[in-house]
Amino acid sequence: MYGGGESVHSFFSQNPSPIDLPRRSAPCELIGSLFVFSLVDEVSAIVLDLGSYTCKAGYAGEDAPKAVFPSVVGSIYQAGATDEVKHEKDSDSMYDSENADKIKTRKLYVGTQALGYRRDHMEVISPIKDGVVVDWDIVDNIWNHAFRERLLIDPKEHPMLLAEPSFNTPQQREKAAELMFESYKVPALFLAKNAVLTSFASGRATSLVVDSGGGSTTIAAVHDGYVLQKAVSTSPIGGEFLTDCMMKSLESKGVMIKPRYSFKRKEIRPGEFQTVDLDIPNTTESYKLYSQRAIASDIKESVCRVPDTAFEESGYANVPMTPYELPDGQTIEIGADRFKIPDVLFNPSLVQTIPGMESFAGSASVSGLPQMVIESINRCDADIKRELFSSILLAGGTASMLQLKERLEKELMEEAPQAARVKVLASGNSIERRFSVWIGGSILASLGSFQQLWFSKAEYEEHGVSNIQRKCP
Amino acid sequence: MEAVVVDAGSKLLKAGFASPDQDPALIMPTKMKRVVEDGDGGDASMIEEVTVDPVVRGFIRDWDAMEDLLRHVLYTDLGWEVGDEGQILFAEPLFTPKAIREQLVQLMFETFNVSGFYASEQAVLSLYAVGRISGCTVDIGHGKIDIAPVCEGAVQHIASKRFQIGGIDLTNLLTQELRKSNPLMNIDISEVEKLKEQYARCAEDQVAFEETQRTWPKETHTLPDGQTITIGREGYIVGEALFQPSILGLEEYGIVEQLVRSISSVSSENLRQLLENTMLCGGTASMSGFEERFQKEANLCSSSIRPSLIKQPEYMPENLSKNSAWMGGAILAKVVFPQNQHVTKGDYDETGPAIVHKKCF
Repeated sequence: MYGGGESVHSFFSQNPSPIDLPRRSAPCELIGSLFVFSLVDEVSAIVLDLGSYTCKAGYAGEDAPKAVFPSVVGSIYQAGATDEVKHEKDSDSMYDSENADKIKTRKLYVGTQALGYRRDHMEVISPIKDGVVVDWDIVDNIWNHAFRERLLIDPKEHPMLLAEPSFNTPQQREKAAELMFESYKVPALFLAKNAVLTSFASGRATSLVVDSGGGSTTIAAVHDGYVLQKAVSTSPIGGEFLTDCMMKSLESKGVMIKPRYSFKRKEIRPGEFQTVDLDIPNTTESYKLYSQRAIASDIKESVCRVPDTAFEESGYANVPMTPYELPDGQTIEIGADRFKIPDVLFNPSLVQTIPGMESFAGSASVSGLPQMVIESINRCDADIKRELFSSILLAGGTASMLQLKERLEKELMEEAPQAARVKVLASGNSIERRFSVWIGGSILASLGSFQQLWFSKAEYEEHGVSNIQRKCP
Repeated sequence: MEAVVVDAGSKLLKAGFASPDQDPALIMPTKMKRVVEDGDGGDASMIEEVTVDPVVRGFIRDWDAMEDLLRHVLYTDLGWEVGDEGQILFAEPLFTPKAIREQLVQLMFETFNVSGFYASEQAVLSLYAVGRISGCTVDIGHGKIDIAPVCEGAVQHIASKRFQIGGIDLTNLLTQELRKSNPLMNIDISEVEKLKEQYARCAEDQVAFEETQRTWPKETHTLPDGQTITIGREGYIVGEALFQPSILGLEEYGIVEQLVRSISSVSSENLRQLLENTMLCGGTASMSGFEERFQKEANLCSSSIRPSLIKQPEYMPENLSKNSAWMGGAILAKVVFPQNQHVTKGDYDETGPAIVHKKCF
């Protein structure tokens, strides 16, 4: 890259010539013998990864998604008979008839720009609960926003690679395929599991993927490009949970995080400023929470570090405080919380000690990260256990927390059987870790040998949607 | 022969040979008139004139018109000869769809037969023009506004924003406002453009703006066709619209707030370096009072790190902000072409239009 920016090209070292690619690809069973690596340049596929926290979309073949925006949407309920769902659609789309029956219809606002503007009575809702899509209408709007407003493309002309959770049910896959083919009329589709894509992104066919994202943490074992369903486990502790812990902890210390829209700065004398609180009565609780979380999330990302050993109150009582300046100007000091919050990943029972979070019901049954990894590996066949132990991949936004890799490696070495060699791998660049699922999809969709695996529109029309279970393992 | 640098905007096309510290040789409107002649060569009343805009909101939409325009610019104005075409560098807006880039490359190599091609984003070029490789650009053009943080020459697409509002919306706003205060006036949109350039200004801050709305400063202006109109507070409304988009009917925050919010998704180590090197460019940003107002609003924004504008280097000509993308292109052209980092005819013949995505960033 002219002028530097090595991180931009750390994946596709220099220009990916046909000779360079073999190092990167994963010899998955299906793709295995056909090592024909030419980047397809007639039509560029689109890779779409709808996570529980952010949605990533972009062209295949690139090293980072072009469009990254939250997967939550703002919605304002309006009493009225007409459907005002905010997108352009063909008039004969199959979802209009469902919505027209609703007496109360809603207007949806998708994307960072639309969400960032405070509106009266706007609630923030998520289409995904516990990793499963519950509201397909919202997903439709999110996809539409990604295609028409962010990437500026027409979905009819690009094959789509959709990343799905490793534990996705067949019904969900069929629903997604139906939505893509009927509503967006894509020419071809492929559904790939998140864990498999992360594996490809690091050039391995067999690995244990620890995907710690916004909404949850998923641990899945991948063997030869297939996810071993018996070894998949999830935990509700993800980035957002840690952000909530941070917020509650700060509240208990008396720090009020003021959302960005709730104050204004006034110049009382030249050079001197004063923050004035604004009273905006019609803002919903969910929007206020969303705005506060955005700020708390930034605090978490800039000051938190995983401690080298299990967290104890006494050990960290005298740790030096780190200052952080909030948007409204107040400076706060964060001390032991810097280490306590990330340690929740390893020791969920710590949550009980944070005032305001005692009601977290699942903490009894949720185990820490190392335990989940060991459990997952134990459920696999004995012959691959060794390989899994030596290729544990870290992915997801929360995985880019400082010192996570070292701490996980240490804990696993203590708990793993003696003979096993434990190696935790994570790319050094935090952008790559955050988008590793998307990057894997980008690599997969641009391989020449992958082009025969697409599930095409013709096949969908001829054989129906259930064929997708066979075509996309 | 020097490389040619072209920056095709929604209103003005800037083109010229790459000479970094001078203005582009050619600044002409991109609006074209298509003259449809009657096949029989009948009388003059049969000839229709239709206004054509090849560039809409920053992106090239009408390829035939663009081809004609470029043919005129390259062969007639800049003096290229058929058979001996040189190298060309294009400045593109943010988020240009891949298909448009590929079509442009195809047009250049197949129709114009250039010997070398390069394309770069306007945000990066504007920063080169002021001698930096990192910073934020706020490019307020005729058809769109682009806010882009650039780190070491690479645009951070994740944190960039593009707005579909620009000078043209301000012109429409001015027309509306003038109609309200001068109901008998009959005016053409191109006249309003000129009025906007002359009278639009930014009030010092929100309080001063409200002052002007109350006190109604007035000036009379005589149009070329003899009508007189009063204009005064309308000019201030136009200047305020970017800081309070509710005037334009949009549910958005003002431009400084948008800048701060979109930049906040970049990792915090670079945040300070980016915000403190903010550059304003584009025709609309040269409104009188805009920079001062921007700086003032920056002090009031909801962020711990306040944006601050960079000073333009003295060796650059006066109206740098209007033509910064072109000048940056001229600087880049002097580096890229001699070092053979551009797309050559050989590359194009071998790989096809998709080569542009690999070689040009």
